[in-house]
Amino acid sequence: MVKIILPAGWTMGRTEFEGSEGLLPDVIRQFAQDNPIYGPRLLGPNSELLTYINVCIDDDLIMRNERASATVPAGSTVVITAPMAGG
Amino acid sequence: MGEMVRIPGATYLLGTPEWLLDWLDDEDQPLPRQWFADETPQVEVTVAPFLLDRYPVTVSEFAVFVAATGYRTDAEQCGFGMVYGEQTWEERAGACWHTPGGPGTNTDGYADHPVVHMSWNDATAYAAWAGRRLATEAEWELAARGPEFRIWPWGDEWKVEAANTAEYYAGSLSSLGAWKQWWLSMHAQYGAMPRTTPVGAFSELGDSPYGVADLGGNVYEWTATVSELYDPATVCDPSVRMALGRYRVMRGGSWMNFRYQTRTTERIHGDPTGWSSFAVGFRCAKDE
Repeated sequence: MVKIILPAGWTMGRTEFEGSEGLLPDVIRQFAQDNPIYGPRLLGPNSELLTYINVCIDDDLIMRNERASATVPAGSTVVITAPMAGG
Repeated sequence: MGEMVRIPGATYLLGTPEWLLDWLDDEDQPLPRQWFADETPQVEVTVAPFLLDRYPVTVSEFAVFVAATGYRTDAEQCGFGMVYGEQTWEERAGACWHTPGGPGTNTDGYADHPVVHMSWNDATAYAAWAGRRLATEAEWELAARGPEFRIWPWGDEWKVEAANTAEYYAGSLSSLGAWKQWWLSMHAQYGAMPRTTPVGAFSELGDSPYGVADLGGNVYEWTATVSELYDPATVCDPSVRMALGRYRVMRGGSWMNFRYQTRTTERIHGDPTGWSSFAVGFRCAKDE
């Protein structure tokens, strides 16, 4: 299992969720499938991660051109940051 | 290029006093303290005198820059701009500063509106061409409120007629649901066109103590400042913490926002690597 943290402004409350380990795109798609209310905020119509959503795995920012091959190991934390962050 | 206003230097307390967080917590809309933790604690800063654009950079001003240089914005280069569609943010193909709602839209009638779909790169490129620069966050806040604290550029009393905010169009809003209803009606009528207004349309009522216009609402404005906490020990949203050291501070709120996001000390952090939206613009500063 992995921890997925969403912006507080998206959730209006709980920000920590659970997800499955694996390739980053698959982790996000599965999370979106399990939590469809957040799907449109994360994925475009082609089910690819929106360009300007930023993703960190254990404090490391994953560059956009490395997302497709990035892996999310079990026990790690994925933090989603919107391109405009804050309250 | 736009008229500039001299902002006298000052030493002042940057950020939001604790009593304001108490007020936000007491408001009808859920406004958790954690959302605004990055505005605290107040810290003493000293700002040298400087010049600031009286108004945000307009569509016509940006057009002059483009005509002179052939500049292509990040949105034009990547082929899309961020707009809020019917339900949420979208990467709208073809949306950019001269087609702000996407294909089929244009800037007819918007020449004196703030230019939008401006990335941090676009803003700094224009500023450099104009012999200017972006303001620092401390400069921006000083220009917005003066050395004495005030909630909005015009004072501590909310005045819906003083700024271009969602409440100007929709009346008092106290929930995200109410905002979405308002936006759906706007979208049905105008599509994803930004609801900006001509710069200075809310002057003099909404001006700051120095006579600077549109510092609350209309468009979010980029600053030069790298996003950091005023105190590293501050507990804030983990998602915001990931923006620190990476993003740039944006100020002022926009036509999309409620009164709370158009305060003089409100901070938002923007991705400077090419992102923009139909609510994002900028103004320039200059050393005296």
